[in-house]
Amino acid sequence: MNRSITLGQYLPGESLVHQLNPRIKILALLIMLAVLFIVQTFHALIFLLLFAVLLLASSGVPFSYFLRGIRPILYIALFALVIYFFFNKGGVVLLRIGSVTVESDGVREGLFVVTRLVALVLYSLLLTLTTTPLSLTHGMGYFLKPLSYIGLPTDEVAMIMSIALRFIPTLMEESQRLMRAQLSRGADFESGSIFRKAKNLVPLIVPLFISAFRRADELALAMEARGFRLGARRTRLHEDIIAPRDWAVLIFVLAVLTAALALNI
Amino acid sequence: MYIGTENLSHIYMPGTPYATKALDEVSFSVGEGDFALLIGPSGSGKSTLIQHLNGLLKPTGGRVVFEDLELGAENVDLLSLRKRVGLVFQMAEEHFFSETVYDEVAFAPRNLGLEEDLVEQNVRSALENVGLDWQEVCHRHPFQLSSGQKRLVALAAVLSIKPEVLILDEPTAGLDPGGRLHLFDLLRMLNQQTGLTVLVCTHHMDEVAALADKVLVLNRGKVVMAGPAPDIFARRQELNDLGLSLPEITEVMHCLAKKGLPARTDIYTLEQARAEINSLKRRLKK
Repeated sequence: MNRSITLGQYLPGESLVHQLNPRIKILALLIMLAVLFIVQTFHALIFLLLFAVLLLASSGVPFSYFLRGIRPILYIALFALVIYFFFNKGGVVLLRIGSVTVESDGVREGLFVVTRLVALVLYSLLLTLTTTPLSLTHGMGYFLKPLSYIGLPTDEVAMIMSIALRFIPTLMEESQRLMRAQLSRGADFESGSIFRKAKNLVPLIVPLFISAFRRADELALAMEARGFRLGARRTRLHEDIIAPRDWAVLIFVLAVLTAALALNI
Repeated sequence: MYIGTENLSHIYMPGTPYATKALDEVSFSVGEGDFALLIGPSGSGKSTLIQHLNGLLKPTGGRVVFEDLELGAENVDLLSLRKRVGLVFQMAEEHFFSETVYDEVAFAPRNLGLEEDLVEQNVRSALENVGLDWQEVCHRHPFQLSSGQKRLVALAAVLSIKPEVLILDEPTAGLDPGGRLHLFDLLRMLNQQTGLTVLVCTHHMDEVAALADKVLVLNRGKVVMAGPAPDIFARRQELNDLGLSLPEITEVMHCLAKKGLPARTDIYTLEQARAEINSLKRRLKK
Protein backbone atom coordinates (compact mmCIF):
# COMPACT_ATOMS: atom_id res chain seq x y z
CA MET A 1 0.00 0.00 0.00
CA ASN A 2 2.34 2.70 1.24
CA ARG A 3 5.07 1.20 -0.87
CA SER A 4 3.58 2.56 -4.04
CA ILE A 5 4.02 6.21 -3.11
CA THR A 6 7.44 7.58 -3.89
CA LEU A 7 7.53 10.14 -1.10
CA GLY A 8 7.19 7.56 1.61
CA GLN A 9 10.17 5.49 0.51
CA TYR A 10 11.97 5.67 3.83
CA LEU A 11 12.78 2.32 5.39
CA PRO A 12 13.81 2.42 9.03
CA GLY A 13 17.20 0.97 9.87
CA GLU A 14 20.18 1.24 12.17
CA SER A 15 23.05 1.42 9.70
CA LEU A 16 25.67 4.15 9.56
CA VAL A 17 24.05 5.53 6.41
CA HIS A 18 20.75 5.83 8.27
CA GLN A 19 22.35 7.67 11.17
CA LEU A 20 24.35 10.21 9.21
CA ASN A 21 23.43 13.84 9.43
CA PRO A 22 20.99 14.61 6.59
CA ARG A 23 22.90 17.77 5.60
CA ILE A 24 26.06 15.73 5.08
CA LYS A 25 24.11 13.12 3.15
CA ILE A 26 22.60 15.72 0.82
CA LEU A 27 25.94 17.41 0.33
CA ALA A 28 27.66 14.09 -0.41
CA LEU A 29 24.91 13.18 -2.87
CA LEU A 30 25.27 16.48 -4.71
CA ILE A 31 29.03 16.03 -5.03
CA MET A 32 28.62 12.44 -6.17
CA LEU A 33 26.11 13.43 -8.81
CA ALA A 34 28.48 16.12 -10.05
CA VAL A 35 31.35 13.63 -10.28
CA LEU A 36 29.10 11.18 -12.11
CA PHE A 37 28.61 13.82 -14.77
CA ILE A 38 32.31 14.70 -14.92
CA VAL A 39 33.69 11.19 -15.46
CA GLN A 40 34.05 10.19 -19.08
CA THR A 41 35.73 6.79 -18.93
CA PHE A 42 34.12 3.44 -18.41
CA HIS A 43 36.38 2.25 -15.63
CA ALA A 44 35.76 5.39 -13.57
CA LEU A 45 32.04 4.95 -14.06
CA ILE A 46 32.10 1.26 -13.13
CA PHE A 47 34.16 2.20 -10.07
CA LEU A 48 31.44 4.66 -9.00
CA LEU A 49 28.71 2.11 -9.67
CA LEU A 50 30.52 -0.43 -7.51
CA PHE A 51 30.88 2.18 -4.79
CA ALA A 52 27.12 2.78 -4.94
CA VAL A 53 26.43 -0.95 -4.63
CA LEU A 54 28.82 -1.14 -1.68
CA LEU A 55 27.00 1.72 0.07
CA LEU A 56 23.64 0.13 -0.66
CA ALA A 57 24.78 -3.16 0.84
CA SER A 58 26.06 -1.36 3.94
CA SER A 59 22.69 0.36 4.42
CA GLY A 60 20.97 -2.96 5.09
CA VAL A 61 17.99 -2.01 2.93
CA PRO A 62 16.78 -5.13 1.05
CA PHE A 63 18.05 -5.17 -2.50
CA SER A 64 14.56 -5.64 -3.90
CA TYR A 65 13.77 -2.04 -2.93
CA PHE A 66 16.54 -0.72 -5.15
CA LEU A 67 15.44 -2.90 -8.03
CA ARG A 68 11.91 -1.60 -7.58
CA GLY A 69 13.29 1.94 -7.53
CA ILE A 70 15.11 1.40 -10.80
CA ARG A 71 12.08 -0.02 -12.56
CA PRO A 72 10.52 3.38 -13.45
CA ILE A 73 13.60 4.40 -15.45
CA LEU A 74 13.75 1.14 -17.43
CA TYR A 75 11.83 2.61 -20.35
CA ILE A 76 13.94 5.73 -20.48
CA ALA A 77 17.04 3.55 -20.44
CA LEU A 78 15.70 1.34 -23.20
CA PHE A 79 14.75 4.38 -25.27
CA ALA A 80 18.22 5.88 -24.81
CA LEU A 81 19.86 2.60 -25.82
CA VAL A 82 17.85 2.40 -29.04
CA ILE A 83 18.62 6.01 -29.95
CA TYR A 84 22.34 5.62 -29.30
CA PHE A 85 22.61 2.23 -31.00
CA PHE A 86 20.99 3.31 -34.22
CA PHE A 87 21.83 6.97 -34.55
CA ASN A 88 25.35 7.38 -33.15
CA LYS A 89 27.90 6.58 -35.80
CA GLY A 90 31.61 5.95 -35.70
CA GLY A 91 33.95 3.04 -35.09
CA VAL A 92 33.46 -0.49 -36.34
CA VAL A 93 30.20 -1.59 -37.89
CA LEU A 94 28.82 -4.27 -35.64
CA LEU A 95 25.50 -5.01 -37.27
CA ARG A 96 23.96 -4.19 -40.62
CA ILE A 97 20.25 -4.52 -41.40
CA GLY A 98 19.67 -3.16 -44.88
CA SER A 99 20.81 0.44 -44.82
CA VAL A 100 20.66 0.66 -40.99
CA THR A 101 23.90 0.05 -39.11
CA VAL A 102 24.84 -0.31 -35.47
CA GLU A 103 28.35 0.95 -34.90
CA SER A 104 30.70 0.44 -31.96
CA ASP A 105 30.84 4.07 -30.80
CA GLY A 106 27.07 4.20 -30.53
CA VAL A 107 26.98 1.00 -28.49
CA ARG A 108 29.74 2.27 -26.21
CA GLU A 109 28.07 5.64 -25.61
CA GLY A 110 24.64 4.09 -25.18
CA LEU A 111 25.86 1.70 -22.50
CA PHE A 112 27.79 4.54 -20.86
CA VAL A 113 24.75 6.80 -20.62
CA VAL A 114 22.54 4.04 -19.26
CA THR A 115 25.10 2.98 -16.66
CA ARG A 116 25.42 6.59 -15.56
CA LEU A 117 21.63 6.84 -15.28
CA VAL A 118 21.45 3.71 -13.14
CA ALA A 119 24.23 5.01 -10.89
CA LEU A 120 22.42 8.37 -10.54
CA VAL A 121 19.22 6.66 -9.49
CA LEU A 122 20.99 4.31 -7.09
CA TYR A 123 22.73 7.17 -5.29
CA SER A 124 19.48 9.13 -5.03
CA LEU A 125 17.60 6.08 -3.77
CA LEU A 126 20.26 5.60 -1.14
CA LEU A 127 19.38 9.03 0.21
CA THR A 128 15.57 8.73 0.07
CA LEU A 129 15.44 5.18 1.38
CA THR A 130 17.58 5.87 4.44
CA THR A 131 16.42 9.36 5.41
CA THR A 132 13.05 10.22 6.90
CA PRO A 133 11.13 12.72 4.80
CA LEU A 134 11.21 15.06 7.77
CA SER A 135 14.98 15.16 8.10
CA LEU A 136 15.22 15.44 4.33
CA THR A 137 13.20 18.65 4.37
CA HIS A 138 15.21 19.96 7.30
CA GLY A 139 18.39 19.22 5.40
CA MET A 140 17.14 20.87 2.25
CA GLY A 141 15.87 23.82 4.23
CA TYR A 142 19.44 24.34 5.38
CA PHE A 143 20.73 24.54 1.84
CA LEU A 144 17.94 26.93 0.89
CA LYS A 145 18.86 29.23 3.77
CA PRO A 146 20.88 31.71 1.65
CA LEU A 147 17.68 32.52 -0.24
CA SER A 148 16.23 34.07 2.91
CA TYR A 149 18.62 36.99 2.40
CA ILE A 150 16.75 37.93 -0.75
CA GLY A 151 13.45 37.82 1.15
CA LEU A 152 12.32 34.27 0.57
CA PRO A 153 10.59 32.84 3.70
CA THR A 154 12.72 29.68 3.74
CA ASP A 155 11.77 28.67 7.29
CA GLU A 156 8.11 28.84 6.43
CA VAL A 157 8.62 26.94 3.19
CA ALA A 158 10.43 24.20 5.12
CA MET A 159 7.59 24.18 7.67
CA ILE A 160 4.96 23.86 4.93
CA MET A 161 6.93 21.05 3.32
CA SER A 162 7.31 19.11 6.53
CA ILE A 163 3.64 19.51 7.43
CA ALA A 164 2.67 18.33 3.96
CA LEU A 165 4.95 15.31 4.26
CA ARG A 166 3.69 14.59 7.74
CA PHE A 167 0.11 14.39 6.49
CA ILE A 168 0.65 12.25 3.41
CA PRO A 169 0.48 8.95 5.30
CA THR A 170 -2.46 10.24 7.34
CA LEU A 171 -4.43 11.13 4.25
CA MET A 172 -3.45 7.87 2.56
CA GLU A 173 -4.76 5.97 5.54
CA GLU A 174 -7.89 8.07 5.60
CA SER A 175 -8.61 7.54 1.93
CA GLN A 176 -8.17 3.83 2.36
CA ARG A 177 -10.57 3.79 5.28
CA LEU A 178 -13.04 5.86 3.28
CA MET A 179 -12.72 3.58 0.30
CA ARG A 180 -13.50 0.57 2.46
CA ALA A 181 -16.41 2.35 4.13
CA GLN A 182 -17.99 3.21 0.78
CA LEU A 183 -17.21 -0.24 -0.64
CA SER A 184 -19.11 -1.76 2.26
CA ARG A 185 -22.05 0.39 1.16
CA GLY A 186 -21.82 -1.18 -2.27
CA ALA A 187 -19.79 1.56 -4.00
CA ASP A 188 -17.99 0.58 -7.17
CA PHE A 189 -14.71 2.26 -8.06
CA GLU A 190 -13.61 -0.02 -10.85
CA SER A 191 -16.16 -0.66 -13.57
CA GLY A 192 -17.86 1.68 -16.04
CA SER A 193 -16.73 4.34 -18.51
CA ILE A 194 -14.29 7.04 -17.54
CA PHE A 195 -17.13 9.49 -16.80
CA ARG A 196 -18.92 6.91 -14.71
CA LYS A 197 -15.67 6.28 -12.82
CA ALA A 198 -15.13 9.98 -12.21
CA LYS A 199 -18.66 10.28 -10.90
CA ASN A 200 -18.14 7.26 -8.68
CA LEU A 201 -15.23 9.00 -7.00
CA VAL A 202 -17.48 11.69 -5.49
CA PRO A 203 -18.23 9.60 -2.37
CA LEU A 204 -14.48 9.42 -1.83
CA ILE A 205 -13.37 12.93 -2.69
CA VAL A 206 -16.01 14.94 -0.86
CA PRO A 207 -15.39 13.42 2.59
CA LEU A 208 -11.64 13.47 1.99
CA PHE A 209 -11.70 17.20 1.26
CA ILE A 210 -13.93 17.91 4.21
CA SER A 211 -11.62 16.07 6.57
CA ALA A 212 -8.48 17.61 5.06
CA PHE A 213 -9.89 21.11 5.57
CA ARG A 214 -10.99 20.25 9.08
CA ARG A 215 -7.55 18.90 9.88
CA ALA A 216 -5.89 22.01 8.47
CA ASP A 217 -8.18 24.20 10.52
CA GLU A 218 -7.52 22.28 13.71
CA LEU A 219 -3.79 22.22 13.09
CA ALA A 220 -3.67 25.97 12.52
CA LEU A 221 -5.58 26.52 15.75
CA ALA A 222 -3.33 24.14 17.68
CA MET A 223 -0.21 25.85 16.30
CA GLU A 224 -1.48 29.27 17.24
CA ALA A 225 -2.44 28.03 20.69
CA ARG A 226 1.15 26.97 21.14
CA GLY A 227 2.48 30.36 20.14
CA PHE A 228 3.37 29.80 16.52
CA ARG A 229 3.83 32.96 14.53
CA LEU A 230 5.41 33.81 11.23
CA GLY A 231 8.97 35.06 11.09
CA ALA A 232 9.90 33.85 14.57
CA ARG A 233 13.11 31.91 15.02
CA ARG A 234 12.43 28.34 16.04
CA THR A 235 14.70 25.82 17.69
CA ARG A 236 14.50 22.11 17.06
CA LEU A 237 13.74 19.23 19.38
CA HIS A 238 16.46 17.07 17.88
CA GLU A 239 19.42 19.35 17.44
CA ASP A 240 21.03 19.15 14.07
CA ILE A 241 24.63 18.44 15.02
CA ILE A 242 27.32 17.42 12.58
CA ALA A 243 29.38 14.88 14.50
CA PRO A 244 33.03 13.96 13.84
CA ARG A 245 31.69 10.75 12.34
CA ASP A 246 29.79 12.75 9.72
CA TRP A 247 32.91 14.66 8.75
CA ALA A 248 34.85 11.39 8.56
CA VAL A 249 32.28 9.92 6.18
CA LEU A 250 32.31 13.06 4.06
CA ILE A 251 36.11 12.94 3.81
CA PHE A 252 35.95 9.24 2.94
CA VAL A 253 33.44 9.96 0.17
CA LEU A 254 35.61 12.79 -1.15
CA ALA A 255 38.62 10.46 -1.18
CA VAL A 256 36.72 7.83 -3.15
CA LEU A 257 35.51 10.44 -5.59
CA THR A 258 39.06 11.75 -6.04
CA ALA A 259 40.10 8.20 -6.84
CA ALA A 260 37.31 8.04 -9.41
CA LEU A 261 38.54 11.27 -10.98
CA ALA A 262 42.07 9.87 -11.04
CA LEU A 263 40.77 6.81 -12.88
CA ASN A 264 39.10 9.15 -15.30
CA ILE A 265 42.41 10.37 -16.71
CA MET B 1 -21.56 -21.63 11.83
CA TYR B 2 -23.75 -18.63 10.98
CA ILE B 3 -21.06 -15.98 10.77
CA GLY B 4 -17.53 -16.24 12.09
CA THR B 5 -13.92 -17.14 11.47
CA GLU B 6 -11.69 -20.17 11.78
CA ASN B 7 -7.98 -19.69 12.57
CA LEU B 8 -8.10 -16.33 10.87
CA SER B 9 -4.76 -14.53 10.60
CA HIS B 10 -4.07 -11.20 9.02
CA ILE B 11 -0.72 -9.55 8.39
CA TYR B 12 -0.56 -5.95 7.20
CA MET B 13 2.09 -5.19 4.58
CA PRO B 14 3.59 -8.67 4.51
CA GLY B 15 7.16 -8.98 3.29
CA THR B 16 8.20 -5.47 4.35
CA PRO B 17 9.93 -4.23 7.50
CA TYR B 18 6.53 -2.72 8.37
CA ALA B 19 4.79 -6.10 8.46
CA THR B 20 2.53 -6.39 11.50
CA LYS B 21 0.44 -9.33 12.57
CA ALA B 22 -2.96 -7.86 13.35
CA LEU B 23 -4.82 -11.13 13.84
CA ASP B 24 -3.36 -14.40 15.01
CA GLU B 25 -5.42 -17.58 14.58
CA VAL B 26 -8.73 -16.03 15.60
CA SER B 27 -11.69 -18.39 15.76
CA PHE B 28 -15.15 -17.29 16.82
CA SER B 29 -18.73 -17.48 15.70
CA VAL B 30 -21.94 -15.60 16.23
CA GLY B 31 -25.28 -17.36 15.95
CA GLU B 32 -28.30 -16.11 14.02
CA GLY B 33 -30.24 -13.55 16.05
CA ASP B 34 -27.48 -13.16 18.63
CA PHE B 35 -26.42 -9.89 20.18
CA ALA B 36 -22.66 -10.29 20.41
CA LEU B 37 -20.00 -8.03 21.81
CA LEU B 38 -16.43 -7.81 20.60
CA ILE B 39 -14.24 -6.07 23.14
CA GLY B 40 -10.56 -5.40 23.50
CA PRO B 41 -8.13 -2.54 24.08
CA SER B 42 -7.19 -0.22 21.19
CA GLY B 43 -4.97 -1.92 18.67
CA SER B 44 -6.19 -5.39 19.59
CA GLY B 45 -7.38 -6.12 16.06
CA LYS B 46 -11.12 -5.48 16.49
CA SER B 47 -11.48 -3.32 13.40
CA THR B 48 -9.35 -5.66 11.31
CA LEU B 49 -11.49 -8.59 12.34
CA ILE B 50 -14.83 -7.04 11.48
CA GLN B 51 -13.60 -5.79 8.13
CA HIS B 52 -13.00 -9.42 7.19
CA LEU B 53 -16.65 -10.17 7.91
CA ASN B 54 -17.62 -7.66 5.22
CA GLY B 55 -15.11 -8.91 2.67
CA LEU B 56 -13.08 -5.69 2.85
CA LEU B 57 -9.90 -7.45 3.87
CA LYS B 58 -8.70 -10.81 2.66
CA PRO B 59 -7.34 -13.27 5.23
CA THR B 60 -3.61 -14.01 5.20
CA GLY B 61 -4.54 -17.40 6.63
CA GLY B 62 -7.64 -19.21 7.84
CA ARG B 63 -11.29 -18.91 6.87
CA VAL B 64 -14.08 -16.38 7.16
CA VAL B 65 -17.56 -17.80 6.83
CA PHE B 66 -21.05 -16.37 6.52
CA GLU B 67 -23.73 -19.09 6.15
CA ASP B 68 -22.74 -20.89 2.96
CA LEU B 69 -20.34 -18.18 1.75
CA GLU B 70 -16.57 -18.55 2.02
CA LEU B 71 -15.47 -14.90 2.26
CA GLY B 72 -11.78 -15.53 1.73
CA ALA B 73 -12.39 -17.19 -1.63
CA GLU B 74 -11.35 -15.46 -4.85
CA ASN B 75 -14.71 -15.67 -6.60
CA VAL B 76 -17.00 -14.67 -3.73
CA ASP B 77 -19.77 -12.27 -4.78
CA LEU B 78 -18.96 -9.33 -2.53
CA LEU B 79 -21.96 -7.25 -3.55
CA SER B 80 -24.43 -9.93 -2.52
CA LEU B 81 -22.50 -10.38 0.73
CA ARG B 82 -22.69 -6.67 1.45
CA LYS B 83 -26.43 -6.79 0.83
CA ARG B 84 -26.71 -9.17 3.77
CA VAL B 85 -23.96 -8.06 6.17
CA GLY B 86 -24.03 -4.35 6.98
CA LEU B 87 -21.02 -2.64 8.51
CA VAL B 88 -21.23 0.70 10.30
CA PHE B 89 -17.76 2.20 10.47
CA GLN B 90 -16.33 4.15 13.34
CA MET B 91 -17.42 7.81 13.05
CA ALA B 92 -19.40 6.83 9.96
CA GLU B 93 -20.88 10.33 9.68
CA GLU B 94 -17.48 11.53 8.50
CA HIS B 95 -18.08 9.55 5.32
CA PHE B 96 -21.13 11.56 4.28
CA PHE B 97 -20.99 13.17 0.87
CA SER B 98 -24.57 13.70 -0.31
CA GLU B 99 -26.58 16.88 -0.38
CA THR B 100 -29.63 15.44 1.31
CA VAL B 101 -30.17 12.90 4.04
CA TYR B 102 -32.36 10.99 1.59
CA ASP B 103 -29.54 10.53 -0.93
CA GLU B 104 -27.12 9.58 1.79
CA VAL B 105 -29.35 6.82 3.10
CA ALA B 106 -30.30 5.75 -0.44
CA PHE B 107 -26.65 5.37 -1.52
CA ALA B 108 -26.25 1.76 -0.44
CA PRO B 109 -29.58 0.39 -1.72
CA ARG B 110 -29.05 2.16 -5.05
CA ASN B 111 -25.59 0.66 -5.37
CA LEU B 112 -27.03 -2.74 -4.70
CA GLY B 113 -29.36 -2.29 -7.64
CA LEU B 114 -32.74 -1.83 -5.99
CA GLU B 115 -35.64 -0.25 -7.88
CA GLU B 116 -36.19 3.40 -6.99
CA ASP B 117 -39.60 2.85 -5.34
CA LEU B 118 -38.12 0.06 -3.25
CA VAL B 119 -35.21 2.36 -2.40
CA GLU B 120 -37.65 4.96 -1.14
CA GLN B 121 -39.45 2.38 0.96
CA ASN B 122 -36.18 1.18 2.47
CA VAL B 123 -34.92 4.71 3.16
CA ARG B 124 -38.15 5.58 4.85
CA SER B 125 -38.26 2.52 7.07
CA ALA B 126 -34.55 2.87 7.91
CA LEU B 127 -35.00 6.49 9.01
CA GLU B 128 -38.10 5.60 10.99
CA ASN B 129 -36.33 2.64 12.55
CA VAL B 130 -33.63 4.87 13.97
CA GLY B 131 -36.30 7.18 15.37
CA LEU B 132 -35.93 10.12 13.00
CA ASP B 133 -38.90 11.99 11.57
CA TRP B 134 -38.58 10.99 7.94
CA GLN B 135 -40.68 13.88 6.59
CA GLU B 136 -38.71 16.45 8.48
CA VAL B 137 -35.25 15.09 7.95
CA CYS B 138 -35.05 13.59 4.47
CA HIS B 139 -34.58 16.83 2.52
CA ARG B 140 -32.14 18.39 4.90
CA HIS B 141 -28.40 18.61 4.35
CA PRO B 142 -26.64 15.93 6.42
CA PHE B 143 -24.22 18.50 7.82
CA GLN B 144 -27.04 20.56 9.32
CA LEU B 145 -27.93 17.79 11.74
CA SER B 146 -26.70 17.50 15.30
CA SER B 147 -23.92 15.01 15.92
CA GLY B 148 -26.31 12.54 17.53
CA GLN B 149 -28.67 12.78 14.55
CA LYS B 150 -25.77 12.35 12.14
CA ARG B 151 -24.81 9.11 13.83
CA LEU B 152 -28.40 7.91 13.51
CA VAL B 153 -28.41 8.78 9.81
CA ALA B 154 -25.14 6.84 9.45
CA LEU B 155 -26.84 3.87 11.04
CA ALA B 156 -29.88 4.29 8.80
CA ALA B 157 -27.57 4.43 5.78
CA VAL B 158 -26.63 0.83 6.51
CA LEU B 159 -30.04 -0.35 7.72
CA SER B 160 -31.47 0.77 4.37
CA ILE B 161 -30.02 -2.36 2.73
CA LYS B 162 -32.06 -4.44 5.18
CA PRO B 163 -29.09 -6.51 6.35
CA GLU B 164 -29.36 -9.81 8.16
CA VAL B 165 -26.24 -9.07 10.20
CA LEU B 166 -25.35 -5.63 11.50
CA ILE B 167 -21.79 -4.97 12.60
CA LEU B 168 -20.94 -1.72 14.37
CA ASP B 169 -17.45 -0.41 15.11
CA GLU B 170 -17.44 1.80 18.24
CA PRO B 171 -20.95 3.07 17.50
CA THR B 172 -21.06 5.40 20.48
CA ALA B 173 -17.67 7.08 20.13
CA GLY B 174 -18.09 10.80 20.67
CA LEU B 175 -21.77 10.65 21.62
CA ASP B 176 -23.21 12.12 24.82
CA PRO B 177 -24.80 9.74 27.40
CA GLY B 178 -28.29 10.39 26.07
CA GLY B 179 -27.22 9.60 22.54
CA ARG B 180 -25.50 6.43 23.68
CA LEU B 181 -28.58 5.18 25.51
CA HIS B 182 -30.82 5.96 22.56
CA LEU B 183 -28.52 4.12 20.15
CA PHE B 184 -28.40 0.98 22.25
CA ASP B 185 -32.16 1.04 22.81
CA LEU B 186 -32.48 1.04 19.04
CA LEU B 187 -30.06 -1.84 18.63
CA ARG B 188 -31.87 -3.88 21.27
CA MET B 189 -35.19 -3.21 19.59
CA LEU B 190 -33.85 -4.18 16.16
CA ASN B 191 -32.31 -7.32 17.60
CA GLN B 192 -35.38 -8.42 19.53
CA GLN B 193 -38.15 -7.35 17.16
CA THR B 194 -36.69 -8.11 13.77
CA GLY B 195 -34.25 -10.86 14.69
CA LEU B 196 -31.30 -8.88 13.34
CA THR B 197 -27.97 -10.38 14.33
CA VAL B 198 -25.87 -7.65 15.94
CA LEU B 199 -22.14 -7.55 16.57
CA VAL B 200 -20.89 -4.49 18.44
CA CYS B 201 -17.22 -3.73 18.68
CA THR B 202 -16.29 -1.44 21.55
CA HIS B 203 -14.13 -0.82 24.57
CA HIS B 204 -16.81 1.12 26.34
CA MET B 205 -19.18 -1.30 28.00
CA ASP B 206 -21.46 0.80 30.19
CA GLU B 207 -24.64 0.61 28.15
CA VAL B 208 -24.01 -2.42 26.06
CA ALA B 209 -23.11 -5.04 28.66
CA ALA B 210 -26.74 -5.70 29.57
CA LEU B 211 -27.67 -6.38 25.95
CA ALA B 212 -25.01 -8.94 25.11
CA ASP B 213 -25.68 -12.66 24.78
CA LYS B 214 -22.15 -13.47 23.87
CA VAL B 215 -18.78 -11.79 24.38
CA LEU B 216 -15.47 -12.16 22.60
CA VAL B 217 -12.36 -10.53 24.06
CA LEU B 218 -9.42 -9.77 21.78
CA ASN B 219 -5.94 -8.77 22.86
CA ARG B 220 -2.96 -8.28 20.54
CA GLY B 221 -4.70 -10.11 17.73
CA LYS B 222 -5.61 -13.15 19.80
CA VAL B 223 -8.85 -14.32 21.36
CA VAL B 224 -8.24 -14.30 25.09
CA MET B 225 -11.78 -14.98 26.29
CA ALA B 226 -15.01 -16.03 24.64
CA GLY B 227 -18.34 -17.17 25.96
CA PRO B 228 -21.71 -16.15 27.37
CA ALA B 229 -21.72 -12.60 28.74
CA PRO B 230 -22.14 -13.38 32.48
CA ASP B 231 -19.18 -15.82 32.37
CA ILE B 232 -16.91 -13.25 30.78
CA PHE B 233 -17.96 -10.32 32.95
CA ALA B 234 -17.35 -12.45 36.03
CA ARG B 235 -13.64 -12.41 35.19
CA ARG B 236 -13.28 -8.83 36.34
CA GLN B 237 -9.62 -8.93 37.30
CA GLU B 238 -8.49 -10.36 33.96
CA LEU B 239 -10.50 -7.74 32.10
CA ASN B 240 -8.99 -4.98 34.23
CA ASP B 241 -5.52 -6.31 33.49
CA LEU B 242 -6.28 -5.86 29.79
CA GLY B 243 -7.25 -2.23 30.45
CA LEU B 244 -10.96 -2.98 30.05
CA SER B 245 -13.41 -1.93 32.71
CA LEU B 246 -16.80 -3.37 33.51
CA PRO B 247 -19.84 -1.11 33.54
CA GLU B 248 -19.59 1.24 36.53
CA ILE B 249 -22.66 -0.19 38.18
CA THR B 250 -21.14 -3.69 37.95
CA GLU B 251 -18.00 -2.33 39.61
CA VAL B 252 -20.19 -1.01 42.44
CA MET B 253 -21.69 -4.47 42.94
CA HIS B 254 -18.22 -6.00 42.94
CA CYS B 255 -17.23 -3.54 45.68
CA LEU B 256 -20.25 -4.56 47.74
CA ALA B 257 -19.35 -8.22 47.29
CA LYS B 258 -15.79 -7.49 48.32
CA LYS B 259 -17.05 -5.94 51.56
CA GLY B 260 -18.51 -9.33 52.40
CA LEU B 261 -22.12 -8.66 51.42
CA PRO B 262 -23.88 -11.51 49.58
CA ALA B 263 -24.54 -9.30 46.55
CA ARG B 264 -24.81 -10.64 43.02
CA THR B 265 -22.23 -9.22 40.63
CA ASP B 266 -23.87 -10.11 37.31
CA ILE B 267 -25.65 -6.74 37.34
CA TYR B 268 -25.28 -4.45 34.34
CA THR B 269 -27.99 -1.81 34.60
CA LEU B 270 -29.19 0.67 37.18
CA GLU B 271 -32.59 -1.06 37.41
CA GLN B 272 -31.03 -4.45 38.11
CA ALA B 273 -28.80 -2.85 40.71
CA ARG B 274 -31.69 -1.15 42.44
CA ALA B 275 -33.67 -4.39 42.60
CA GLU B 276 -30.66 -6.33 43.86
CA ILE B 277 -29.83 -3.78 46.55
CA ASN B 278 -33.43 -3.73 47.73
CA SER B 279 -33.55 -7.49 47.95
CA LEU B 280 -30.17 -7.44 49.66
CA LYS B 281 -31.57 -5.10 52.31
CA ARG B 282 -34.51 -7.41 52.87
CA ARG B 283 -32.28 -10.44 53.11
CA LEU B 284 -29.95 -8.72 55.60
CA LYS B 285 -32.87 -7.68 57.83
CA LYS B 286 -33.98 -11.27 58.23
